[in-house]
Amino acid sequence: MNRTLAAIFVTAALASGPVLAQDAIKIGVTQPLTGAFAASGNYVTEGAKLAEAAINASGGVLGRKIQLIIEDNKSNPTEAVATAEKLISKDKVPVMLGAWSSSLTLAVMPKLMEYGVPMLVETSSSGKITVSGNPWIFRISPTSEMEAKAFAGYVKTLGIKKADFLATNNDFGLGASKEFAEMLKANGAQIGVVETMDPKATDFSAQLAKIKASGGDTLFVTTAVEQATLILKQAKEQQVTARIITTGGSVSPDQLIQQAGDAANGSRHVVFFTPWFPEAVKNPDVAKKFVAAWNAKGLPAGGLTEGFRGWDGLYTIVEGIKLAGKAEPAAIQKALWDVKVKGVNGDIAFIKQGPAGQESAQNVPSVYVVRIDGGKVVKN
Amino acid sequence: MKAAFTIAGLVVLATLPWWLDNPYILHVLIVTGIFIIAAISLNLLLGYAGQLSLGHVAFFGIGAYASSLVSLGFDISLLTLKPKPVWMAMLAGIAAAGLCGWLIGRIAFKVRGAYFVIVSISFVEVVRLVAVNWVELTQGPMALNNIPPLSLLGISFLKKPSNYWLVLTVAVISYVLVKRLVQSKAGRAMVALAENEPLARSVGVDVTRTLVLATVVSAAMAGAAGALYAHYIRIVDPDVFLFIYTVTMVIMVVTGGKGTLAGPIIGGLIFGLLPEGLRAFSIKPEIQWIIYGVLMLAVVYFLPAGIVPALKRRLRWLS
Amino acid sequence: MDQFLQHLLNALMLGGTYALLGIGLTLIFGIMRVVNFTHGELYAFGAYMMYALVMRTGVNFFVALVLAIALGALLGAALEFVLLRRLRGADIDTTMLVMIGAWIALQNTEQLVWTGVAKSIDNPFPAAPLVIGAVSVGWNRVFVFVVALLLIGITYFLIQKTKLGKAMRATFQDRDTAALMGVQIGSIHTATFALGSALAAAAGALLGPVFVAYPSMGDMAAAKAFAIVILGGLGSIPGATLGGFILALAEELGAGYISSGYRDAMSFLLIIAILVFKPTGLFAQKERIG
Repeated sequence: MNRTLAAIFVTAALASGPVLAQDAIKIGVTQPLTGAFAASGNYVTEGAKLAEAAINASGGVLGRKIQLIIEDNKSNPTEAVATAEKLISKDKVPVMLGAWSSSLTLAVMPKLMEYGVPMLVETSSSGKITVSGNPWIFRISPTSEMEAKAFAGYVKTLGIKKADFLATNNDFGLGASKEFAEMLKANGAQIGVVETMDPKATDFSAQLAKIKASGGDTLFVTTAVEQATLILKQAKEQQVTARIITTGGSVSPDQLIQQAGDAANGSRHVVFFTPWFPEAVKNPDVAKKFVAAWNAKGLPAGGLTEGFRGWDGLYTIVEGIKLAGKAEPAAIQKALWDVKVKGVNGDIAFIKQGPAGQESAQNVPSVYVVRIDGGKVVKN
Repeated sequence: MKAAFTIAGLVVLATLPWWLDNPYILHVLIVTGIFIIAAISLNLLLGYAGQLSLGHVAFFGIGAYASSLVSLGFDISLLTLKPKPVWMAMLAGIAAAGLCGWLIGRIAFKVRGAYFVIVSISFVEVVRLVAVNWVELTQGPMALNNIPPLSLLGISFLKKPSNYWLVLTVAVISYVLVKRLVQSKAGRAMVALAENEPLARSVGVDVTRTLVLATVVSAAMAGAAGALYAHYIRIVDPDVFLFIYTVTMVIMVVTGGKGTLAGPIIGGLIFGLLPEGLRAFSIKPEIQWIIYGVLMLAVVYFLPAGIVPALKRRLRWLS
Repeated sequence: MDQFLQHLLNALMLGGTYALLGIGLTLIFGIMRVVNFTHGELYAFGAYMMYALVMRTGVNFFVALVLAIALGALLGAALEFVLLRRLRGADIDTTMLVMIGAWIALQNTEQLVWTGVAKSIDNPFPAAPLVIGAVSVGWNRVFVFVVALLLIGITYFLIQKTKLGKAMRATFQDRDTAALMGVQIGSIHTATFALGSALAAAAGALLGPVFVAYPSMGDMAAAKAFAIVILGGLGSIPGATLGGFILALAEELGAGYISSGYRDAMSFLLIIAILVFKPTGLFAQKERIG
């Protein structure tokens, strides 16, 4: 072998394999770090990295350090399968965190069955994930259905009579508009138009003109924060007067205030974490610790409402490893059913969903609604 | 001599699962193999018939969707279908892709060159948007999941080695098929057409017929690759129509050498294994992509005819 | 009726930038025979330059706009010089593959430099929209529309009235004869690619502040530009101008009255329809193959 090349390999081996790291418990992370979902995937990964540092600083788990093996699934289902395959059979991780969007998670799921490795799902909202009979799935994020149910109390308070929808054309957007429409109908509200948009689109003038003509009092928007920003701005330009409510928990109000300015005022947002008033959440100490770590690393405040998923996910996994007493997939899977974790979102514990004997695990997360008023986030 | 090499190569490939106990590498090889089949099919159109189709992934995706839908069954307002065995579904996938190839061939070959390229891209986009929006049939972006693996003659193709052999078999069949076809009269007509269309026309080559034939065979083969993909990965969503997949197939063919039988295989191995190779070095994902793009540039620049012709030249020069 | 008027107004505003995108692409194809896959990246580049200049360095918005367009021209010239110059005379497939490679590399460089988080760019226009009866439009969009028309006008002038434009047209009609007549084909190609790129960057610099800047923003823009160019006929500037407005109208009305899910399919459906019924595009004069 070429000598310089050999030198590089030796250095690389030394750099990546100090004695301690060999002892570390590996945890696989598959997230979209490039491609369409790159912004959110990177935030979730940052949250997980902060948790890794915090856990290791306080002595790790089972007397060993933990080590994240992070793979980019490129926002692409085929790549997501490849990352799972690599993490499980090459890196031999006993448990994984992933894979952000529902289609990425669904793609990975057969691999979990094949190898018998549990995965903690931190973001995906599709109902399908937990009802397809995959016992290796542990989800901490709410399904669209849970979110809609949690919102039901607000229908009367806000006086919603007729609602229109504008949703991104994927599982996340379509799922949410379906569940919210059903919930609203059950609560006596009328449904106007349901408009969709390509996840990459930036101009919604046509959809907004149609929504304006429909004349509902409330417009539910389900998409990522970038499109939500544009929708708020363009709704103002077209004088759409309906009250705008974003769902899905992926729309960071901080980023909206920063980027949509005036147009963000008066809008409401369903979120799963309220960093603006950490005292109001269930576990203020945990929330404060997370926010402090986030700020200490100089990460943008707009990422907090995404980043916490990575933090909560990793803490839940580590608690599972602790209860299992060993870093083996089947033991961790068994132990995860018993975890009780004080998370940023709230208390994390799992209930059973899906066909008997093959149940997947689902957490019942806290759901909050906040409002933007005068360039500040306030409680609704 | 050449036959000995081929046989030795095949033996190595066929026995690989026994002496390679790393399932991750086997997975990478299976996926690479599936894309090599697609690249072989594209080579027929791009290399031999001389039509740069940037819509090839449409046939791959149609094969994947059709096969998944037939194996899962569906219930839409016009039609209800009970789940069918997977081998039957795969045949249906191949047929559906071939049929689409015929349709598109009839329409698209009214134009050539840049127009053909753009019409082929548009075709994929329209198919993708149908897959996204026809939720009743395709589940849209919610994806078709829980797709059953192939089981045939009592063997279930759930595990990797069996899938590997399946992909290898289909790849060999595709290779032989293309080889036979290009050596036949119709194949010679294709090559003549690619080289000089007016001349080929003047000696009596039926241009549209020849091109449509190439497209149908090529599309059906890509459909087979798509069906293999669907029942191996076991999820299909509209992302199978991503442009990057087409780019991958094209680059495999061009790197290896368009219009050569071994080209798509060599190019396919390189560009199929490269992303995994890059993954092994812990460099930022964006940089991995940049390397991918630059490599693509470099290949076109320095080996415009591809690796296989360059190697052949080198060999001839040595002897 | 109000809804319909609003759709018309929206289409008019959108059409200006679509035309800008289409003209740049059609120029490059017509004169150089290059299917330019980096066109969308130049669009993204324009938007990111606005972000860098306005938000990071505090340059005046209008000055930044001029600078962003100039930088777009510069990047275009560099791309042509480094990547395409030596490939002149190569077949259309080869240059296309080179442009695809460049597209992948450029887009990921953007993400590397600016991260995947979308960037918004402040604009100096009043937030309250311009209201005409029942319809309304943001002032920033009015500005975009006016500047787009201005740039289209300048491009026409450049092509029709200047010496450079004359040389470009000569190259477009017959490259070999033009070369024989003393036209420096190399410089013409660089100038063409720079001009086309500047127009794409201009579209991005104008729309960046209206929307947001993010790494994959160019993909959608490029797809629309392709549709517009096919619609108008490859190489036809009046065709691309009209094509831009037609596409905008088709999208608006399609989303408004058929289904918004297919809004972005409109461009591709139009391409296929045009190619089936009138393969040369609506406005191309001579039949072109290849």
